[in-house]
Amino acid sequence: MDADVIKQKNKRKKNHTYAISSAKDFTCVLPALVLLAVFTYYPIVEVIRISFTDWNLINDSYQYVGLKNWKWLFAGSGTKYLLNSLKVTALYSLGEIAITLGGGLLFALLFNRITKTFSVLRAVVFMPRYVAMSSAAVVFIWIFNKDNGVLNYFLQTVGLNKVDWLGNKNVALISVLILTGWRAIGYGMMIYLSAMLGISKDYYEAAALDGANSSQRFWKITIPMLSPTTLFLFVTTFLSSMKVFQSVDILTGGGPYRSTEVIVYMIYKYAMQDFRMDRASTVAVMFFFILLVVTALTMKVSKKSVNYDS
Amino acid sequence: MRTMSNLDYSSNESAILRKKIAKVLQYIVAIIVTIIIAFPIYWMLVSSVKSQEEILLTIPTLWPKEWHFENYVNVFKRANFGKYYINTIIMTAGILISEIMTGILAAYGFSIGKFKGQNILFLIILGALMIPIQVTFIPIYIMFADWGLTNTFLGLILPNTVSPYYIFMLRQTFLSVDNSYIEAARVDGMGRLGVIFKILVPMCKSTIVTITLVSFTSGWNSYFWPKIIAKDEPRVLTIGLAHLKNTFAGQATMNNHEIMAGAVMAVLPVIILFFIFQKYMLTGYSKAAMK
Repeated sequence: MDADVIKQKNKRKKNHTYAISSAKDFTCVLPALVLLAVFTYYPIVEVIRISFTDWNLINDSYQYVGLKNWKWLFAGSGTKYLLNSLKVTALYSLGEIAITLGGGLLFALLFNRITKTFSVLRAVVFMPRYVAMSSAAVVFIWIFNKDNGVLNYFLQTVGLNKVDWLGNKNVALISVLILTGWRAIGYGMMIYLSAMLGISKDYYEAAALDGANSSQRFWKITIPMLSPTTLFLFVTTFLSSMKVFQSVDILTGGGPYRSTEVIVYMIYKYAMQDFRMDRASTVAVMFFFILLVVTALTMKVSKKSVNYDS
Repeated sequence: MRTMSNLDYSSNESAILRKKIAKVLQYIVAIIVTIIIAFPIYWMLVSSVKSQEEILLTIPTLWPKEWHFENYVNVFKRANFGKYYINTIIMTAGILISEIMTGILAAYGFSIGKFKGQNILFLIILGALMIPIQVTFIPIYIMFADWGLTNTFLGLILPNTVSPYYIFMLRQTFLSVDNSYIEAARVDGMGRLGVIFKILVPMCKSTIVTITLVSFTSGWNSYFWPKIIAKDEPRVLTIGLAHLKNTFAGQATMNNHEIMAGAVMAVLPVIILFFIFQKYMLTGYSKAAMK
């Protein structure tokens, strides 16, 4: 046969084999894609759609009502609840970030010795993170109990008054933060410690030779070298704290007087207690966009403020 | 001075004394702080074996007067804890199996595999990370209610069949495997599944163990979706435990001792697993510490 024809035939065979091969490779990712499309991407479109209806699960049917729900949320009877839950969520997030980053860094410094004793101490401090939130919450309900709880007992032994940890609207959110912080501080500590181990000793030696004292070495070397870690912790803690639900649900149920009603709890109430899918969806969509904006902003911030070892 | 952050370089006499005092102070504060942090866990364990009278004493006892291990038995008998355990095992197993299967295949397709649109599709997989269940649960719940999947295992498992995190991490690890192994296998005539399960998976065992543990823990501890779709049954441990506080801790009966026993039992599997697989978890940290 002609050499060219043979070449063409071989090329077609190769292309054909390649086509089959890449089709097979594609089938490998198909299950994941299909499942995500059905159970993640389709729902997000649906929830946006539902926010434009008046869907109350008790009724048989629903209609499209344009921006009615959105008016309710931003300029109607729902606005005060929205503002409340935004405020509660913001306070909670701030608290969790402060504990994880600030507390974590403090603990990293406090527990920084390389000895067996300190290894054990660190493991104990980290252990709360292994305790599931549901178990931890149930234990803390008991600890926070106004009359029989051990925390109030300790307070009274030092002469202070009992505190209604879960029933006083000014204290309830702090109680939730205590539970969260208890589990988070060990995590922050470990993250900062492993980052600190990675900072080359040469920097410190050079600075000491130049006459820098330990406070200067800490602020001018340690803190900047930890900025990637700080950013990482900040972003992940911020995003996960905004989605808080379990601790609130078990400890306080959103109360008292909505003082711990975070956004997800509000969405949950409208959907599963009131069956007002329309209102729940509206709040949920707004929440989703807030999350997107926060993610985008944090990506921008990360490009500007982080020092990397060159 | 053996610490992990700043190194102290001064060496005159007052500095030596100062460092000694600082060391003692550090030990004292660290130990006190550790005791405070450990206390709730200690309290959970100690309360779980107290009697009902002792648990309700106005002046709490730091050490149980009597040991009532039957609290644990009672939780099983009166609160259906055995069922909760089984339900949680079934749900977590279902989630794990599907996450692992879809994950390994997809990770292969996105790393060793080649096809058009690969990168965009991978971004789509990752994009799912930004879409939280706290938003999508509304239509998924409605869908499942229509399909009769409320209060079923399938309903518990289906929204969690894929883990973009799993795929991302595994793809990363597959990519780091030396191509020559794969080429050699191909030359020997091995097909895709062979390459995946006879070469890639064995070579990436430790990553697979780590991410599987993460998936296991998140499945075992999941609360939000189970509360939406399976509040009454099949109830899992997290929901069951929270439920205990509602049915038990009414004004008339304060079964906190039994609730504590339940809390301990709910936590046990994860803690045991972490002790077993500890070396995988802490390897990264200890390697750095040995430098």
